[in-house]
Amino acid sequence: MASITAVAQTRDIKYSEFDLPNGLHVILHEDHSTPIVAVGVMYHVGSKDEARDRRGFAHFFEHLLFEGSDNIGRGEYAKYVEKAGGVLNANTTGDRTYYYEVLPSNQLDLGLWLESERMMHAKVETKGIETQREVVKEERRQRYENQPYGSILPEVLERAYTVHPYQWPTIGYMEDLNAATEKDFKDFYKTFYVPNNAVLVLAGDFDAKKATSALKKYFEGIPKGGVIPRNKVVEPQMKAEIRDTVYDKIQLPAVVQAYHIPALGTPDFYAVDMLNRLLSNGNSSRLVKNVKDAEQKAVYVGSFSLPFEDPGLAIAFAVANMGVSPDSLEASMDRQFALVRNEPVPEAELEKLKVQIETEHATENSRMAGIANNLANAYIFLGGTDKVNTEVKQYLAVTAADLQRVAKKYFVPENRVVLYYLPMSQKK
Amino acid sequence: MNRQRKTMKSPLLHTLALAATLLTPAVMTAQVNRTKAPPAGPAPEVHLGEHKSLLLDNGMRVIIVENHKIPIVTAQVRFDIPPIMQGDIAGYQDLVGELLTSGTSRHTKDQIDELVDGLGAQLVGSNDGIYASSLKRNFPQVMDLMYDVVSSANFPNDEFVKAKTRMMSQIGARTDDPDQIASVVGNALTYGKDYPYGEVTTEATLGKADRDDVYQYYRYFFQPKHGYLVLVGDITAKEGEEMAKKYFGSWKGAEVPVTKDAEGHDVVKDLGPIIPAGAPPRLPKDVRVAFVDRPGSAQSVIKVIFPENLKPNDPMATQAQVLNTILGGGVFNARLMQNLREDKAYTYGAYSSLDADRWCGSFSAGCSVRNAVTDSAAIQIMDEIAKIRTAPVTADELSLAKSNMAGSFARALEDPRTVARFALNTYLNDLPEDHYETYLKRLDAVTVADVQKAAERFMHPDSATILVVGDKAQVAETLKPLSTSGQVFFYDVNGDIVREDRTEGATPAPAGMTAQIVLDAYIKAIGGKSAVEKVKDLKKEYTTKVQGMEASMVEYYKLPNKYAMEMKMGEMVLQKLAFDGTRGKMMGMAGEKVLEDTDLDELRGSSYAFPELHYTEMELVAKLMGVVDIDGKKAYRINVKTMPGGQFDEYYDTTSGLKLRKKEYQTQEGGGGFQVVTDYADYAPEAGVMFPRTLKQKGGMDMTLTATKIIVNKGIPDSVFTVE
Repeated sequence: MASITAVAQTRDIKYSEFDLPNGLHVILHEDHSTPIVAVGVMYHVGSKDEARDRRGFAHFFEHLLFEGSDNIGRGEYAKYVEKAGGVLNANTTGDRTYYYEVLPSNQLDLGLWLESERMMHAKVETKGIETQREVVKEERRQRYENQPYGSILPEVLERAYTVHPYQWPTIGYMEDLNAATEKDFKDFYKTFYVPNNAVLVLAGDFDAKKATSALKKYFEGIPKGGVIPRNKVVEPQMKAEIRDTVYDKIQLPAVVQAYHIPALGTPDFYAVDMLNRLLSNGNSSRLVKNVKDAEQKAVYVGSFSLPFEDPGLAIAFAVANMGVSPDSLEASMDRQFALVRNEPVPEAELEKLKVQIETEHATENSRMAGIANNLANAYIFLGGTDKVNTEVKQYLAVTAADLQRVAKKYFVPENRVVLYYLPMSQKK
Repeated sequence: MNRQRKTMKSPLLHTLALAATLLTPAVMTAQVNRTKAPPAGPAPEVHLGEHKSLLLDNGMRVIIVENHKIPIVTAQVRFDIPPIMQGDIAGYQDLVGELLTSGTSRHTKDQIDELVDGLGAQLVGSNDGIYASSLKRNFPQVMDLMYDVVSSANFPNDEFVKAKTRMMSQIGARTDDPDQIASVVGNALTYGKDYPYGEVTTEATLGKADRDDVYQYYRYFFQPKHGYLVLVGDITAKEGEEMAKKYFGSWKGAEVPVTKDAEGHDVVKDLGPIIPAGAPPRLPKDVRVAFVDRPGSAQSVIKVIFPENLKPNDPMATQAQVLNTILGGGVFNARLMQNLREDKAYTYGAYSSLDADRWCGSFSAGCSVRNAVTDSAAIQIMDEIAKIRTAPVTADELSLAKSNMAGSFARALEDPRTVARFALNTYLNDLPEDHYETYLKRLDAVTVADVQKAAERFMHPDSATILVVGDKAQVAETLKPLSTSGQVFFYDVNGDIVREDRTEGATPAPAGMTAQIVLDAYIKAIGGKSAVEKVKDLKKEYTTKVQGMEASMVEYYKLPNKYAMEMKMGEMVLQKLAFDGTRGKMMGMAGEKVLEDTDLDELRGSSYAFPELHYTEMELVAKLMGVVDIDGKKAYRINVKTMPGGQFDEYYDTTSGLKLRKKEYQTQEGGGGFQVVTDYADYAPEAGVMFPRTLKQKGGMDMTLTATKIIVNKGIPDSVFTVE
C-alpha cells in the first residue's frame, strides 16, 4: 500500500547529462525557485586509492587544492567565492573527493572558472603544504583524539580490514602526513585529478544551454588523463569474531559491533540498510525501544551502514547507562540481532520502514547543494544518475524474507569486530 | 601547439595540421581568458517569500508558509517563555522536551513512538514547544498527535525516572567531552550562575528535581495565549488555516492556580516561584584566565567570552553582525581563520560569535589547538579582538563581509522554513514589521566607520574571560601572562572554582601534629598567649600605593571584637569599614551601605586582632593539610573552613612558627571567583607582641602594605566603630 503511493508522492529530480570529449561527465539540474547555483566536482578518488605509506594523503590533498592555481594566488581561491557572496567547501571519503561552491546565480561563470582552474593546473607551494599539514593534524586531534569515543572508526577499521585499504581512516596518520613529498602531490594530481575521473554538476538557477556553452569554455581545454589505476584488492571473508578493548578518556563504557556488509548499490546493501533502520531509526525501532527504553541499558544506541564502494561495514554503537556493564549491554544488543535472524519481520513493521524511506527520500532532495551531491554520487556509485530518483525503489522492494536472510548472512558473530570502550581508570 | 615552427608547407603536413585542429577543438575555441575571474552577470533579485498570519480566538498566533517543491509539511508549536531560574533543581527544564512525547491521556509512550515512526514522521519536543514533519498525506494525523501531546501530555512518573537516570549518566560523563565542558563552564562564566543562561545542572540539582516540577512547568507555560503555530511546506494557506482551527482553535490550556510570593512572583504548586532573569550580567573587571583541567588532552579548547548588551532589535544589530563576520563569523576569510589557521596553522578552525538575544547577548571567540601553542593562540585571539577595536577594517574586508551576508541571506531563503522563522522572530523579538524586507538595504548601508563604532561598543579586550579546557600540567602555567592578575583560576566541570588541590606538592605533617598545635605555636612565636591577651586595643598604620599613588590605611581593633578600617589617598577617603561587634557598614566613594549576610560575616571574620585565638568560637574548622614549600621555607598548611561553604588556607613556618601566608578565595559577582594571597614578612615586636611589618597582597587588587606604626593600648574611642 505504502509502496505504491510512495513513488506517486515523490517528485523526480529532472536532469540532463553528457560527456565532454576529455571524459568529463556533466550533469545539469535546472531549478529557478531561488537565485542560487551549486557547482560541484566529484573526483573518483579517496583514501582507498592511497599508497600504504601515505595514509591520509587524499584528504590532505583536498586541503591543498584550495591553495590556488597558475592564475589564482595563495589564499585567493576562497576570497573569490566569498566576495561573490558564495560558500565553498570540500570533503573526502574512502571513495571520492567532492568540492563545491554555492553561489548567487549570476556568478555561475566564477564557479566554473574556479573549478576548472583546480582541475587544470592547481598550484601548491611549500608554505601551503607546511601550513595545511599542521591544519590537518589539528583536524585529526580535534575530531578523533580529543573527543570521547572519537577513535571508534580508526579502531574498528584497523581490525575489520586486513588487506583492503579501508583499514585506515580518511584522516590518515601523523607519520604518513609528515612523509608526504612534493613528488607525491604531482603524481597524485596527474593520476586522479583528470576530467575522465570527475563529474561536474550544476544545480540551480541557470539556463542549461548557456551554462553548457560556458562550462565547455572552461573545461574542454583540460587534457584527458590516463587510465585510472584501481585498487582491486578484495578483503577475505572473516573466519572468526574479533574482540578487543580500547581504553579512552570516558566515564561510560561503550560497545561497538562492526559487521561486514556488501558494497553500496548491491541488492543486499539495501536490505542491510533497511535492517539498520529497523534496528535504530526512531523511538519505536528495535534497539532504541528495547535496549535504551525498556531495558534501560543504554543512554544512546544506534546502528548505521557505511555506504562504501567496496564492501563496507554496519556499525552498531551503544553507550552504557550508569551502572550497566558492557557485557550486559552487549547481551541486550545481541538479543535484538538474534531476533531479526530467527524471526521474520512482521509486515506492519516493514511498512513502517517503507514510509520512513519514502519520507527521507522526499526530504533529501530539497536544497541545491544536496541535489548536486546526490546526482554526482548516483552517477559514480549507484550505477547511474537516474538512481537519484529510482534508488528508493530498491529500498521499497526489500521483503521481510530479505531482511531475515541478510540478518542471517551478515549479522552473525563470526562476521564482526566487537570493541569494548572502557574508562582509562579500568586499565590494568 | 607548435604550428609556429612549420615553415615547410607540404600537403601532408597541412592535412596533419588540419586534423589536429579538428581533433582538439578546445584549443581553438579556448579564447577564454583564464588569468582573470569572469565578471558577474546582472545581480538576481532576492524575493523574501510570502507568509500568512492569523490569530486564533484563544490567542494563539498561526503563521503559514506555502511551498510545494517537496511533498513535506513541517509544523512547529512555540511558546514565548522567558528564561527563568531553575535554582536548586536545575536540569528539570531539559527533561521537558523528551517527556512531552512520553505519554498523554490518549496515548502511552509506546503508542506515540509507534504512531510517529509508522507515519514516517518526526516529532521532537523541547522546553518551549515541539517540532513535527511528515509527508503531506500523513500530515493530518501528525497534527492530531502533535495537538494531543501539546495539550494533554501527562508526564508519567516511570518515564520521568528513566529519562532522569539517563541524564544523570550523561552529566557524570560530562568530563569526557572538552567542547561540552567549554560550553557549560563558558555559560557559567559569561552570565554567572545567578542568571538563567549561566545555571549549571549537576547530579545534585537534577537529583532534587521530581516529576511534578516538569509537569507543572509544562502546565504553566504551555498556554495558547503565548503560543505560536507555524506551518510550512506542501500545504495551502486555506488548508493550514483549517487545520490550525480544527486542532488548536478550541484549546484552552491548563488552569494553573498560582499564589504570589513576597517579591510578587507567581508561585506554582509543586514547582515553586517562577523567578525571571534578574539584571543582565556585567562585564568582568579585567582579563582573567579560567582553566578546566582535562588531563591527557590532545588539544586545548580556547574560548574568549563576555556578555553583551545586544538585543535583536538594537539599532546596531546589523553592524554588529558585519563586525563579527569580519572577525570570525563563519567566512573563511575572517581574521581569526586567516590568522590562526591559514597563517599560523594553530588550528583546524577559529571562529567568533556575537549573539543578539532578547534577554542577554554574548560574545565568544575560540578554537581547538595543540597543547604547545595554547598560549600563542590565546594571544592571537585577544590581539584580534583588540585590533578590530582600535584600527578601522579595510574596505575590502567590509565588502567581502557584506557580500557574504547578503549571499547567505539569499541561500537561507531556499528553505521555506526561513520565511516562517523570520515571521516568528519578528513577533518574538518585537522587530519592525519590515525588518527582514529591509535587511539587505540596511546591510548595504553599513560603513567602515559603523563597524568601528560597533567594535568600540561590543569588543571588550580588557574585560574578558579566557576559558581553556585542556591539560593543566602542560598548559596552565603558560597562560599566566594573559591574566591581569597574573593568576590562572581553576574550575571544575560544573563551573565551580577549584580550591587548590589540598594534597598537591604537600608532604604529610609529622605524626601527632595537629592544626591546633600549629596555631598554639604561632601564638607562642608572636609573644605568647598572655602577652597577646593583654592587647585591649590596637591601631595599625600602613602606607601603600593605589594605582601608583601614595595611600594610607589604618586599622583599629578593640576588645571584644570591634573593628574599623580607613583607607585614604591624601585627604580623600577611598574606603571605610566599621563593625561594632554586631552590625557593620561600608563607606566608599559610592556612598554608605549597611552590610548584611555574607558581607557582614566576612567583616565579623576580620574583627579580631588575633583571629587565630578565636577559630573555635567562630565555628571555623581548621585542619592540618601537610607541609609545603613557601619561597624556600617549610610551612604547615592549615585549611580553615568558614561558614557557609567558604574556606581559606594559612601557612605557618615550621621553624619560627610565624604565619607566612594566607590564601583566600573570593567569590565574584556573576559567578566564578579569584584568589587573594597575602604574604606576611618583617615581623617586629610592639608591646611584647610580634607584628608583620610588610604585607604583600596579590589577586583582586595587588598592593604592598608597609606598617609605619603599631600602637597598642593607647585607647580608641567607641565612636570609631559606630555603625549608625
